[in-house]
Amino acid sequence: MASFNYALRDTFRLIFRHWGLSILTLVTAVSLFFLLGSSALFSLNVKNIVADVENDLVITVFMRAGEDVAPLLSTLEDAEFIDDIKAISPEEGLSILKSKLGDQAKAVSLLGENPLPWSVQIMVKRADYATPLVRDLMSFPSVEEVVYAGQLAEKLSRASYIMNRVSLAVLALAIIITALVLYNTVKIAIYSKRREISVMLLVGATKSFIAFPFVLQGMFLSTIGAVLSVALLAIAYPVIGNMIHNTLMFINVLDDRDLLFRLYLILVGTGMTLGWLCSWFAVHCYIVSAGSPD
Amino acid sequence: MDIRMAGITKTFKPDIVALEDVYLNIDRGEFVYLVGATGSGKTTLLRLITREIVPSRGQIVVAKRNLRKLRSSHLPYYRRDLGVVFQDFKLLPHLTVYENVAFVLEAMGIPSRIVRERSEQVIDEVGLWRMRKNYPLQLSGGEQQRVAIARAMVNSPAIFLADEPTGNLDFHTSESIMKLLLSINAAGTTVIVATHDQYLVDAYRQRVVELHEGRIRRDEERGRYFVDGEL
Ligand SMILES: Nc1ncnc2c1ncn2[C@@H]1O[C@H](COP(=O)(O)OP(=O)(O)O)[C@@H](O)[C@H]1O
Ligand SMILES: [Mg+2]
Repeated sequence: MASFNYALRDTFRLIFRHWGLSILTLVTAVSLFFLLGSSALFSLNVKNIVADVENDLVITVFMRAGEDVAPLLSTLEDAEFIDDIKAISPEEGLSILKSKLGDQAKAVSLLGENPLPWSVQIMVKRADYATPLVRDLMSFPSVEEVVYAGQLAEKLSRASYIMNRVSLAVLALAIIITALVLYNTVKIAIYSKRREISVMLLVGATKSFIAFPFVLQGMFLSTIGAVLSVALLAIAYPVIGNMIHNTLMFINVLDDRDLLFRLYLILVGTGMTLGWLCSWFAVHCYIVSAGSPD
Repeated sequence: MDIRMAGITKTFKPDIVALEDVYLNIDRGEFVYLVGATGSGKTTLLRLITREIVPSRGQIVVAKRNLRKLRSSHLPYYRRDLGVVFQDFKLLPHLTVYENVAFVLEAMGIPSRIVRERSEQVIDEVGLWRMRKNYPLQLSGGEQQRVAIARAMVNSPAIFLADEPTGNLDFHTSESIMKLLLSINAAGTTVIVATHDQYLVDAYRQRVVELHEGRIRRDEERGRYFVDGEL
């Protein structure tokens, strides 16, 4: 316990002695973990949205202007994979739109004449019936457009796949940079205390005892970096989430407290581990393998 | 803690022979002066005992431990039995007198209450109580030397090595340091003092081992700095 207190005191001395370096390291670590956290949140949200819309079984068919819905309805009537089918008149469509838009409804009113065509809402029994049905519907000459969430889901998945590739590369780079900064900070601290270390070795301190404060230093900086970034994320995420929801109302920003908590915990854990690895490595290179007699 | 050296030769690159074929036995509780001109190998001999270096040839056994075969994981524990006053003190400039002494015990993981008691006791013994909060650079040479001695004796070592502990000090200061070393020896600790301080050697006659160009030229009980008749 005494030696732990000693190590702790030494750790803080190291951190304050090289305060400029400590701040640089902290900023790097905070940036990394913020980047890690926000990209994790981003992909979690994309997954969430995809899952949301994938389970959306509703297909909306917009007719060409002036076209009648009756022929289409009669074709689909006896299809067994359809749960429900409903024709929506332009007037109904407008009122639904207005209720969805809330405040922004006035903009629609300004258009004057109702711009909406007839539409049909089809609810399929299972999501995988949707894609072939959509293909069939598109071939109807009276159909202007078919909108169904699955399409959006596919597009989103494809986009997020590409984004993940890119962000994975960026994240890997960020991790490498942070690791190097941490390693270097510990290395410089060791270098600045090399006289002390050589005296400590001469008076019988074990290498692990000498190394301990340096390992703590690296772990501390990295962990505090992670904690600070989690604090930033915890403050920024709800604010940004609200902003997104207010502009794009159909998006439900992920708000699973358990999941978020777990993510934050993982970030802090990653911070500890990264700090430990980097400083252990520096210590191993410069203390443990040093000082053998000639 | 017996020290046994048999056939020790130590060469440094490129072809410096610092010690050659040295046989030396020092028994527990002895007081030994190691004398000889600068470059005769005194520091090298002490560094062999602290195992900062290993011999090129020959065996050195301290307290039944063969230092050549000492495993590096055991080295710290071996060194805890030693107290060393280095020629250049090796005090840490950013630590106070107290901290310089205490950190030896802290490095051993000793409980902080005991560290405090023992460190304060030793600092008092070497007469530096009033300066315990000063930094080494605020002290005179003799005071720095005493910090180094306090640090070397704080762990109650079985073997105490001092490399020119009175170099560059005036006679009175040297004398007080000598008395400190004798009192450490009186408590049962083996003391080896490398010195070329003729006055001290002649004033406090003890065993004298003289090195000359890396070889032992003389080893006598209650000896003088110079061989009788040399001067
Ligand atoms: N690390 C070293 N590398 C090369 N030569 C050394 C080294 N240490 C000591 N020597 C040489 O060994 C000889 C003995 O040195 P030393 O033991 O320091 O003598 P003393 O302490 O008696 O003055 C000297 O010639 C010195 O230059
Ligand atoms: Mg010397």
